[in-house]
Parts: sequence; C-alpha cells; structure tokens
Amino acid sequence: MAEARIALTGRIDSNNAPQVEKDMLAQLDGLGQVPVVLDAEELHYISSAGLRVILRIKKNYPDLTITNVNSEVYEILEMTGFTEMMTVEKAYRVVDVTGCEEIGRGANGTIYRIDQDNVVKVYNNADALEDIQHEREVARLALILGIPTAISYDVVKVGESYGSVFELLNASSFSKIIVTEPEKMDWCVKEYVELLKKIHSTEVPEGKLPDLKETVLDWARFMLDYLPEEAGKKLVAMVEAIPHDDHMIHGDYHTKNVMFQNDEVLLIDMDTLAIGNPIFELASMYNAFIGYSEIDKTKIISFQGFDSETGHTFWRKSLAEYLDTKNEYKIQEVEDKARIIGYTRMIRRSIRRNGLENEEDRKEIDYWKAELLKLLARIDTLMFSRNELEIEAAEENLGLVQEFVDEHLEAAECSMKSQMQISVAVEEIFVNIARYAYAPDKGNATVRVEVSDAPVAVTITFVDHGQPYDPLAKEDPDVTLPADERRIGGLGIFITKKTMDDVVYEYKDGQNILKLKKNL
Amino acid sequence: MLKINKTVEEAKAVVALEGRLDTVTAPELEADLMGIIDGITELVLDFETLDYISSAGLRVLLSAQKTMNKQGTMKIVHVKEVIMDIFDMTGFLDILTVEQ
Repeated sequence: MAEARIALTGRIDSNNAPQVEKDMLAQLDGLGQVPVVLDAEELHYISSAGLRVILRIKKNYPDLTITNVNSEVYEILEMTGFTEMMTVEKAYRVVDVTGCEEIGRGANGTIYRIDQDNVVKVYNNADALEDIQHEREVARLALILGIPTAISYDVVKVGESYGSVFELLNASSFSKIIVTEPEKMDWCVKEYVELLKKIHSTEVPEGKLPDLKETVLDWARFMLDYLPEEAGKKLVAMVEAIPHDDHMIHGDYHTKNVMFQNDEVLLIDMDTLAIGNPIFELASMYNAFIGYSEIDKTKIISFQGFDSETGHTFWRKSLAEYLDTKNEYKIQEVEDKARIIGYTRMIRRSIRRNGLENEEDRKEIDYWKAELLKLLARIDTLMFSRNELEIEAAEENLGLVQEFVDEHLEAAECSMKSQMQISVAVEEIFVNIARYAYAPDKGNATVRVEVSDAPVAVTITFVDHGQPYDPLAKEDPDVTLPADERRIGGLGIFITKKTMDDVVYEYKDGQNILKLKKNL
Repeated sequence: MLKINKTVEEAKAVVALEGRLDTVTAPELEADLMGIIDGITELVLDFETLDYISSAGLRVLLSAQKTMNKQGTMKIVHVKEVIMDIFDMTGFLDILTVEQ
C-alpha cells in the first residue's frame, strides 16, 4: 500500500491551522485509508491548534508517522504525549567524520573523535537504528550495575550510516597510551585487568543480556562440517559442558575499547555485552591481540597501532594478572583453552565471508584449523579455575606444581615453617602419583588449592584417574630403629601425616582423590 | 634447584648444599657423594644455605650415613630449624650427628 507523504512547513498555530487542515485533507482525498507520513523537516513550531489538526487526521488515518522532527518540535510532541500516541521520528543531525581521528574500533562500528569533547560511533550496518537502541540500553544496564561506561546522548547521520554521539573528554584509548607512552605498559595491564575482573564479577539479572554460550555453540556446530567427525563432536561437547554463568562479558574487550578519561578507566563499545563463562571473553581477547594477526603480523598495526610483539606481551601480562599467577604452565593452559574458541570463531567468520575461495584466506583457515585440531587432541575441557592446575603427572613437573601452590600460600601469608611442611607434603603426594598412578603409561593430575578463613586453613586436593591406590594404607615406618636397620620408603607419607592437620583419601568415580589440610 | 659445593682434603670432605634437596635434586647429591666417598673418613655436610628437604633427601642422607658407619664419621652442621623439625619427627636426630 502506497503511503501519503505530506510536508509540514513553518509555524502551525491558531492563525493557519484551519487552512493547514484543509490542505492536508485535499492531499489525502480519494486515497483511501493509506499510511500517512508527515514530514516535519521544515516545521519550526506547532501550537495546540496545530496538534488538534494532527489528532483529527490520525482519527481517520490511524497509521500516522511524523518524521524528521527537529528537537524543539520534538520537545513539544514529547511533552504533550504525542510521542506515545504515534510514531515520531527525530531529525538526525548530520556529522562528517572525514579527517577525524579514529579512536576505537569494534565488531559493529568505528569510533571517531568529532571535537574535543565528543566522539561518534559510526555503525557499519546502514540500517543501524535498532543496534543503536540496543547499545544504549545495554550501556545503561552496565552503568546501573556499576561498570563505568559512556552512554550516547544523540543519534546522528554520518553519510549513509547512523552514528551515536558520546561525550568523551580528553580520553585516550589504552592502545594509544601503549603506543605513545610504552613505559606505561604495566600500568595499563593492571588497570585493564582490574576492570575486566570487575566486569566478570558483575551478576546480570536474568534475561537482560544474551547468553554468549548459545552463540559459541552455534560457532562450534558450524565447525562440524569442516572438522574430522570426532574432533567436531568433541568441540561441540566441550562447549555444551560449560555451565551456565550469569556474569557479565564485554565480548570485545581489547585496548581500543578501554579508555582513560580524567583519572577514570571507561569502557566503550558496549553492543557485544553478554553473559557467560570468562573463557569466552579470553577467546576474543586472544584473537584481538594474537589470533587475528597470527599469520599476517602487520594486521594488528592497522588495528591497534602497536606491533604484534607488543600485542603478545600485553596479552600474556594481562592473562597472568587476570589469573593472579606467574606460573607459565597455568597461563598456557588457559591460553590454549581460549585459543580453541578463538580459532573456532575466526574459521567460521572467514568461511562465511567466502574465505575458502581465495588463497590468502584459505592459508589462514588451514593454519587455524591445524592449530585447533592439535589443541582438541590434548585438551578435554574449556573450563579453568585460578586455583586449579591440571598437569601431566611427571616428576619433572614437581617444580611447577610447587610454584603454583606457593603462590597461593604466599597470598595467604603462610608462615615459612608451614609453607615448607606443605611443600614437603605436596612433593610426597605428587611424586607418588607421578610414579605409580599411570605407570607405565602417562596421565594428568589436577592440583587444587583452597584457602579458607576462620579458621585460616589451606586445603590441597590431588585428583588423578590412575589405578586405585591409597597411599595412607601403608604402615608407618618404625622411626626408632638405628640407621643400619632403617628401611627406605614410607617416610614421605609419614611426614605428610605428621605435619598436616588432616589427610584424607577416597576413590570416587574412577578418581583417586587425596586431600591435605593444614591450619595456618 | 640445588647447588653442591665439595671440598676434599685428604680423608676429609666438606659438602655444602644450597637450595632444595628434593625428588629432583636428591639423585644429583647421591651421585656426587658416591663419587668422593671412597677413602673418606670424615664427611661434613654443611646445611647453612639448605632451605628444604623431603623424604627423597632423607633417603640420600640415610644411605650416606650407612656407608660412613663402616668407614668413619658423618656430621651435618648449620641445620635450619625447619629441617631440624623434619629430622626430629622422622627419628633422624637419633641416627645422624647433627649440629645446629
């Protein structure tokens, strides 16, 4: 059905309202009940007499829209409740970003500084009004939940696209700070991770944000057609096994989307906000700093402004800070899990953009796929925990296990004496698992460290999937015998029992579980 | 990590240890002791900078003590309290000669 478009011009008040009404009815005459669009581009003022004309028109033509409304007229329509009775579309200010500094770039748009105090986010998608509305809503939600962010105050037209305008005074992105003040790298890492932890500890009321797990599941299922059957199924099962998590995820958390403004760290580009397991966030971070430019290392320079080496350093330092560890093994474990999702996402994205049809993209897809298959062959879960280390039960890994445990003990301000006793107990148990649990094969052990308050105590749990074996069942050695009659063996467990406050073994669900507890 | 400093003068050997005597490093000490112990009648182990000992370390000390019982004396000196505790609870104070 054709619409009738009528231009409203100048002022409409009691002087000319009857004439305006007559003209409008004349234009609509004989058209039947068509949708009516009143174009208010040239309308400067409307009085209540003018408003009554519109109401009468609406009575006969219920599908009525007023468009291109300037802000003064919009205010009148809003005050009188017209914006709730009919569709009223604001006129958009036109903004030109030619020559403006690009300060941020996200999945759905690019952010430019238009003057000293303001920035505009220009959406890639030309029909972006809904996206803009969505971003505004989620930014508002984030702000209410305590996440520092900027909320747009105006929607503008930028060429063929729309943009949303934010006030952002004297703000620099972390990418820019890293480039112009490289000595601030460690400070950036600290602030960047502090905000990340805050986001991840923010609980989101049910239904307010999309669940990223659903999205990641779609990516994983997409891969079923492109991976060997077993690997594809394993990937889907691993994503399915990630438990529901209602904590916030930014979704595009890289250094162009984190700003420093007047001593405050601020998050922008909120349209990807979601809920889910933090591994989803780490996956997109890995892509931003490494994955995306893993083959063509120049890509990151045009994206972030810094080179791939800087990106790599920033990522590893941030991950260490996020996990509260210096343990390279632990950092690698989580990075590898992030890479599984990261590669999955990039392969899907490239294939959907016909990446298989050109040589350069294909090379990239092949590389990501090969890496993904290697990871899927050796990793069984995408979940990670700061206080858990999964490691091959081998004597040469003892140092890594003790380093991991020590970090937690130091954080708990454990005394030297207790630390040494715990260290000895950890050694005895881990070496036992390394020697006997899987012999002559190999397997993994998980070491979990939990520190509790009141009373302050540390519990260390060892889990392996080896043959059932209770090391506590062994009889204690006779420690009163002279040297020549002393037997080797059993001393380690004996020391462990003596120095720990509690040592418990159980075999459950095919697992040897040994718990050490020490009151601090 | 274990640093082993050996000084052998005729029949007397002084072995100073620095770091950790654990599952990984105990075999190194054992090999070093085996290399010098022949003909030694006085063995001194200096623990001034040894921070840590586990049962693997105790095992090496026990076997050195057994050897020295046949050919001379063995003494462990400058032992830190945390290590003394381990010697104590395992009865090693009774079978080793220890000076703090």
